[in-house]
Amino acid sequence: MRGFGAFLGKELRETVHTWRIWVLPAFILFAALSSPLITFLMPTLVDRLGGLQQGFAISVADPTASAAYAEYLGNLGELVMFALVIAYGGIVSSEVRSGTAALALAKPLSRGAFVLAKWLSQLLVIAVAAVIATAACIALTAVLLGVGPAPETVAAVALWFVYAIVILSAMVLLSAVLPAPAAAAGAGIGVYASFAVLAQFEATSRITPAGLMPAAQAVLNGEPAHWQAPVATGIAVSAACLAAAVWRFSRREI
Amino acid sequence: MRLIAASIWIGSPLVVALLAVLALVELGLLAWALVDLARRPADRVAGGSRLLWLLLCLFVQLIGPALYLVVGRVRAAPAEAPIREAVGGGGHVARAAAALYDAAGPRAPGADGGAPPGPAGDAEGIGPAVELVGVRKVFRTAAALDGLSLSVPEGSVFGFLGPNGAGKTTTLRILAGLARPTSGAAHVLGHDVTGAGGDVRAMIGFLPDVPAFYKWMTAPQYLRFAGSLFGLRGDVLDARVAALLDLAGLTGVGTRIGGFSRGMKQRLGVAQALVNAPRLLLLDEPTSALDPIGRREVLDMVAVLRGRTTVFFSTHILADVERVCDSVAIIDHGRVAAHAPIDELRLRRGGLSRLAVEVDEPQRLAAALEGAPWLRAVEVAEDGGLRLATDDLEAAQRELPALVARLGLALRRLESDELSLEDVFVDLVEGERR
Repeated sequence: MRGFGAFLGKELRETVHTWRIWVLPAFILFAALSSPLITFLMPTLVDRLGGLQQGFAISVADPTASAAYAEYLGNLGELVMFALVIAYGGIVSSEVRSGTAALALAKPLSRGAFVLAKWLSQLLVIAVAAVIATAACIALTAVLLGVGPAPETVAAVALWFVYAIVILSAMVLLSAVLPAPAAAAGAGIGVYASFAVLAQFEATSRITPAGLMPAAQAVLNGEPAHWQAPVATGIAVSAACLAAAVWRFSRREI
Repeated sequence: MRLIAASIWIGSPLVVALLAVLALVELGLLAWALVDLARRPADRVAGGSRLLWLLLCLFVQLIGPALYLVVGRVRAAPAEAPIREAVGGGGHVARAAAALYDAAGPRAPGADGGAPPGPAGDAEGIGPAVELVGVRKVFRTAAALDGLSLSVPEGSVFGFLGPNGAGKTTTLRILAGLARPTSGAAHVLGHDVTGAGGDVRAMIGFLPDVPAFYKWMTAPQYLRFAGSLFGLRGDVLDARVAALLDLAGLTGVGTRIGGFSRGMKQRLGVAQALVNAPRLLLLDEPTSALDPIGRREVLDMVAVLRGRTTVFFSTHILADVERVCDSVAIIDHGRVAAHAPIDELRLRRGGLSRLAVEVDEPQRLAAALEGAPWLRAVEVAEDGGLRLATDDLEAAQRELPALVARLGLALRRLESDELSLEDVFVDLVEGERR
């Protein structure tokens, strides 16, 4: 892991100095702020947007903090995950394509350090963005709708974070294998869709990482959640993806 | 709004402040409109339309320009600082390079405590710095290297010549650890490059033909990053970065690399290749993007490094090789066509001169020249003139006009033609075959 610290520092500085800082954190923050706001305004908006024939009516439940948090979690699981897949299609390959990797890897920077520093830096970005966004979501929800089940929300976001680790690790592997970012992003969407399908079956949802989002929703609703096995397999799958990415990238010519 | 956003390209802080104020005002108006929409009993259809318009405005007025500004600011940033081209005096770069190696010590060790003791460690300065034995590199079905073998003594300046596509860059990528040979052995400073990993790379400095940098970094930031990959830190790194900025003529340049000219990037590339004071310096076409001053400086630097380190210098410019190299290899189609000390190359080149001749009936003159003792080759060029190769230029210049006069031809042009690399290359290849 020679050069890991130096390259990790470069990755973190790059996140701040380039467009990267604006994409995923912006999506996460947008989900955090828009969810309580939309939940709060929804009854009024539906009322204003009505235009239904006489005799018909749409009934909308009163806005609650729980509904706002559920909306936030839903956005994290769909909107943010989709952005993550697209944004990280070139997490490894883009430097190889641009030629910057050649200068760095001709120095005593190991291929493993190169891959893992990229993974860890983006994991830190997602973690920091999720913490800030969740705090902002809880604060805005408290102002508009009351505090509600904030501790459960934090636990649910923690499960989402494990899911994000799995998807990020899968993207690192795909980007190490596929030279074109668009191809990796396309394959990543396939992985995401596969998890969505697996989540529909109880057997696979209970033991695979696909069960992380259903478990997060159950935690948020205060229902019994089977989160242990999905978390364990999620971490195992992430580790396997990273090991495979390092192995593949170590054999790749630059 | 977009016009104002576009003006960020001129990099004015006033415009940035103005945009920030406008954005805040718009945000306030948007919030007010949303609250008003939620509170006022308005017409249902109109309310719905207004919401859509507000959402559209939110994107057009805020998110779109914000993204535009972010991208624009990143791209415009290089224009914020003036670009200063290096015009250092003669010998400046060479002195800086020499000082760098003198400060690093006679062995030019890597920053991690020097080169690891490898198989050739005890025989340092005696064994070859680079040794390639029967190296083949096949891409799908095409062989870029086809049994390449050569040896480069440590401490020498080695010229690696060849036409485009001959396999020069592939060879350098293998030596730098970026590619692996399909078969054969490649040793650098006594280590197998395919197995030694970071230990070998710690002793190497590498400049690719088109160096690519992180555009958002400045030159000092990049050199600091490059040094940190070798484990350099603290005062040593500070001193090394300052010396290399001076060497590259980039001291005081705060511009991001994205705004550098190609020459500036090339000089920065040379500087980063020297950050670890390498025992083997791999340079792939280092002068190709430089103006005459920059080219001279790089060649001076390479010359002064002789004895301090080994320089493996790939180029297709014969004059560069003649100026600084001790020995040279010419490769073609992935094979070594010739491998000789530079003096021998000069001798071969000096033994053959070219003449360009234009007469009204070139075919008659070509026929009459057959058998001339000073003539090595004659051909009719595409422009209708004759190209003669001779090993006795004086005799040719004395006898050729007389022959033209005897034939009753009109002599329109007679001048010596500079030998190109291709001429030398062909001569050497034919020499090898003979």
